[in-house]
Amino acid sequence: MDFSVLNRLSIRQWLSKPVPNAALITLRLVFGAAMTFSVLRFWYLGWIEDHYLNVSFTFKYFGFQWIKLLPAWGMYGLHLLMLLGAVGILLGWWYRFSAALFFVTFTYVELIDLTYYLNHYYFVSLVSFWMIWVPANRRFSLDAYFSPGIRSVYAPRWAIVLFKWQVGIVYLYAGLAKINYQWLVEALPLRIWLPANNSLPLIGPLFEQVWTPYLFSWAGMFFDCTIVFLLNNARTRPWAYVSVLLFHGITGWLFQIGVFPVVMTGMVLVYFSNSWQERLLGWLGDTSKGDNRPSYSLISRPFSIILGVYVLFQVLFPWRYLLYPGNLFWTEEGYRFSWRVMLMEKAGTATFYVKDRKSGREGVVDNAIFLAPHQEKQMAMQPDMILQYAHFLAQHYEEKGVHDPAVRAEVYVTLNGRPGQLLLDPTIDLTQIQDGWAPKSWLNAYNETWK
Amino acid sequence: MKGPIVCLVILSLMTYSCTETELPAGSYDRKPMLEHYADKVIVPAFRELEAKTASLRSQVDVFDTDPSSERLEVLRSAWYEAVLSWQSANCFNFGPAGESGVKKSLVEEIGTFPIDTMQIALFIGENDTLLNNFDRDTRGFYAVEYLLFRSNALSKLQSDVSTRAYLRAITAHLARNVEEVVRAWEGSYSASFLGSVGTDAGSSTAALYNEFVRSFEQAKNFKVGLPAGKRPGQTQAEPHLVEGYFSGSSLELLKRHIKSLELVYYGKDWTGMNDGPGLRDYLQSVVGGAELSVASDAQWQMVVDALEQVPVDRPLSELMAENHPTVDRLHTELQKHTRYFKSEMSSLLGIAITFASGDGD
Repeated sequence: MDFSVLNRLSIRQWLSKPVPNAALITLRLVFGAAMTFSVLRFWYLGWIEDHYLNVSFTFKYFGFQWIKLLPAWGMYGLHLLMLLGAVGILLGWWYRFSAALFFVTFTYVELIDLTYYLNHYYFVSLVSFWMIWVPANRRFSLDAYFSPGIRSVYAPRWAIVLFKWQVGIVYLYAGLAKINYQWLVEALPLRIWLPANNSLPLIGPLFEQVWTPYLFSWAGMFFDCTIVFLLNNARTRPWAYVSVLLFHGITGWLFQIGVFPVVMTGMVLVYFSNSWQERLLGWLGDTSKGDNRPSYSLISRPFSIILGVYVLFQVLFPWRYLLYPGNLFWTEEGYRFSWRVMLMEKAGTATFYVKDRKSGREGVVDNAIFLAPHQEKQMAMQPDMILQYAHFLAQHYEEKGVHDPAVRAEVYVTLNGRPGQLLLDPTIDLTQIQDGWAPKSWLNAYNETWK
Repeated sequence: MKGPIVCLVILSLMTYSCTETELPAGSYDRKPMLEHYADKVIVPAFRELEAKTASLRSQVDVFDTDPSSERLEVLRSAWYEAVLSWQSANCFNFGPAGESGVKKSLVEEIGTFPIDTMQIALFIGENDTLLNNFDRDTRGFYAVEYLLFRSNALSKLQSDVSTRAYLRAITAHLARNVEEVVRAWEGSYSASFLGSVGTDAGSSTAALYNEFVRSFEQAKNFKVGLPAGKRPGQTQAEPHLVEGYFSGSSLELLKRHIKSLELVYYGKDWTGMNDGPGLRDYLQSVVGGAELSVASDAQWQMVVDALEQVPVDRPLSELMAENHPTVDRLHTELQKHTRYFKSEMSSLLGIAITFASGDGD
């Protein structure tokens, strides 16, 4: 008997089973509202202008070099479409199209410049992608209002479980990332970040205590590692949610982390029970009535494989750093897309030297000519960005008349308050090096001592 | 019931900490630092600048009534005094001296160099003293310098009423801009400066720090690097781009600027007196700060040494034209110092350098 077939079938059945869809509807409302707010806030703060207009150079994501910065009208246009998509998700109006529109515009904009990579944005891209494929508009939406035929109070189980699992992955991996010597034993970087908040009302004096960073480091790690399980369990759920509010409230107050706290406190609602979701939707004005015969269709085999691959990828990808030698925080090989959230204080100063190989004359680059302060800040501590910038400089100066330029960089990086060290050999010609998956042998090893 | 107990514990911990009055190591009270900077460092520097620019302006009026070579010498001295005092105030480009709307920061409004001599000639030719344009490189300290120190300056000033009118206009503009900043500091801005005691983007500490670093970089890049031909693509020095080109005072101005940065870093006023809590003291209190301080001070000493080594018998622009090795060394030492101010200090102090959201967002 082919047990593997049976197993797959039962998993497929389990995932396909119709369950009450209230949690999915809440998720749609929460996500749509959070994204609408997020786009408006971004626009209001002038970040479209700041990040994407009058920009000389953008850092590309590996494999996404074809993503181009658009002219001003294009960037505004993308954000307008993004807003429309978010509103469409919120209202459940032309839902699938809105979700796809939001996903495409949001992800495109994020892929324009690596400078602005945030784990939060990665999370939004993933969630908005899956929002396209779930039936979140069957209830309490304009689509359901205008097309009674689609109305349903059921959704296939995978549509809810997937989001629970994704949120769980974020917290769990964020927690696992905090299990390291510097975070737990040295209370770094909190020992650097928290004292700076000693002037906050009420809570300020807390940060003048020597033990506070240690408490916060350990509490943060335990919170991230356990919260999902505590949320999943009906008995611990209420207090778990209180701690979610506390955690994101405090971190949102202390640090410059934008809408991340809002999004997460909203997304974890997916863990609440169906009856709670029904009460919430009822309170919001949903008058849907249940039907007795939910439609059932087994998800296709290819789709279940896609789900399986996705899950496997999300579980495995954050561990790729193990394949690389050296200190993860230093080389950042395998650092991104792994839910390493607010994990280290790192900063660098990168000085680039461009040599005209014909005349032998070497000049020093003023980075401010090409990069905005935030771009320069991010570039100066991330090796792949340093490499990209070096190649850009070579190309730029060649066009300006420098013959066959060689580019080297003196990059001093401080990690968690330690004295600055050279990130790479300042004598090597970076134009001879290409970025890739291979370990970056041209980086210096990290000296962990304090001297 | 674990929940309530945990909350109780947290609450009591917080209450306990609230009753603590002592600040142990690892925490710094920024309020006294900001107060000291505002009262003892920034406002006095701006007041001195105001006095000197007012004096410059009145000397222009005196010269106007009697455009003799003696008067020109007095006027040139007044300019020199004013531009020296400017070096002690040119790193505070925030608040009233910061960018706001179409108005750029003070260092751009009155301190742009090199100036555009052709455009100035055009304005003078058209008798345009309205200054109703965005050509900041046609006014400010260094436009005044040009009119006072260029070759045939005296004869041009004596013969051309238009030139004297333009000189009056830009000196008045200069003095006025400084006055406005001083009034604002003496008025409501002080309170808002002292009210913002965090280190987040937009806080006073962040503003003070970021403009401080920008001023250092300006000295390194535009007063030394660029005119010395240090940029890629430059095949030789371009000494006419240096600050103080026409008066030949580049080195003195640079020395005053560097000294000023040092004094600000230590929390001393522009005379070198009135030592109080400054950025360096703040740095001592944080994780890794003591180590950074030692390394930073050592490299700063190299900068000061390099500055001392530069010959004083000839203008800096000439030394640059000859690719004098002391200029090279100065640039190298300034370059080596950059990281201490630019990335390491902000990293250890937890100061935001931009408004952008950080990781974790």
